[in-house]
Amino acid sequence: MAAAPRPYVLIVGGGKVGYHLAKHLIERDYEITLVEKDHDRADWIQHQLGTVSIMVGDGDEMAFLATTGIERAAVVIACTGDDEDNLVACQLAKGKFQVPRTIARVNNPVNVHVFTALGIDAPISATELLMGLIEAELSGSDMVKGVAVKASGASLVDVALPDLSTLVGTRVRDVRLPDGVLVVCIVRDGDPVMPAPDEVIRRRDELIVYSKTLDVEEVRVSLAG
Amino acid sequence: MNVVIVGCGRVGSTLAREMEAAGHHVTIIDERVSAFSRLGEDFRGDAIVGTGIDESVLRRAGIERADCFASVTNGDNRNLMAAQIAKEIFKVPRVITRIYDPIREEVYRELGLETVCSTRIIADLVRDYFVDGVNRAHAEPAAEAARLARLGAGRAS
Repeated sequence: MAAAPRPYVLIVGGGKVGYHLAKHLIERDYEITLVEKDHDRADWIQHQLGTVSIMVGDGDEMAFLATTGIERAAVVIACTGDDEDNLVACQLAKGKFQVPRTIARVNNPVNVHVFTALGIDAPISATELLMGLIEAELSGSDMVKGVAVKASGASLVDVALPDLSTLVGTRVRDVRLPDGVLVVCIVRDGDPVMPAPDEVIRRRDELIVYSKTLDVEEVRVSLAG
Repeated sequence: MNVVIVGCGRVGSTLAREMEAAGHHVTIIDERVSAFSRLGEDFRGDAIVGTGIDESVLRRAGIERADCFASVTNGDNRNLMAAQIAKEIFKVPRVITRIYDPIREEVYRELGLETVCSTRIIADLVRDYFVDGVNRAHAEPAAEAARLARLGAGRAS
């Protein structure tokens, strides 16, 4: 029986992000080609990762891209340090080589929605993710311990209830939440519990809350009220 | 007309001065303050320091009221990104971008962007000169005069 073909992933940019990503995905048995502009850097990565396929060239150069087997790639991930290069690499992948899915590292967080508007499937800003984490810590509250995972502008917030929370003893259906906010899971003693309307919230429950528009701080405020 | 130009190199500054001389309002963006010295002391438009691929910089440059937009930095990808922001997000009616790489130019033209490839144009002019001995860059002084006359025709009322 033939083994299922390994998904082919093309990574553009062999900096810190690209290198670690390649290493990780190789361990998970993806077929990887890493594209890196700089010869010395490419040699170094080759040395570190052994047999990985590394090509030296510009990830936004059409003629070069055509030699990477890009047309059979399941995903192209552009993770250089320059937003404009990541954008163009992904647009060429999608527009010229019909790559089904493009993921771009976004260095300037304000560019996330620009990338979305310009057709990139998954723009990811490390700075934005980091800011979400730090913001959650900054709020200084015992209540919000979690993180905001932002995708398409929405947040997933992990709210750990303090012992004195007014929500303790309340049924899920009676928790008043703003529009676009929903409790999607209760975590009780480490186990997930379905937030059925009649489920009563207990001390030390954690609520996983999905919010379409609000950020972490606003979710915290809405649950504290 | 309100004109926004990204990149104050030779092309950007020349364009800015021509458009201003023709009576249009010009805002030009560049990352380096020193680049603006190319505009000369009599330039009366706005010069904004920043990157043309940042929406907030573009807003400060008045892109929401712009009639024309050109990205003419020396980076193809930067130009492509700035032009797409102007066209797709701010819906500027006339957007054009300068691309050095002819292949990339072709791809983006197919994708619907208005482009001009200086590499292609110069290579064609030089090839024509080699083949038939005519330098079309300077062959038609009458056409050049007509071009300058037209430049003033779109002047804001």
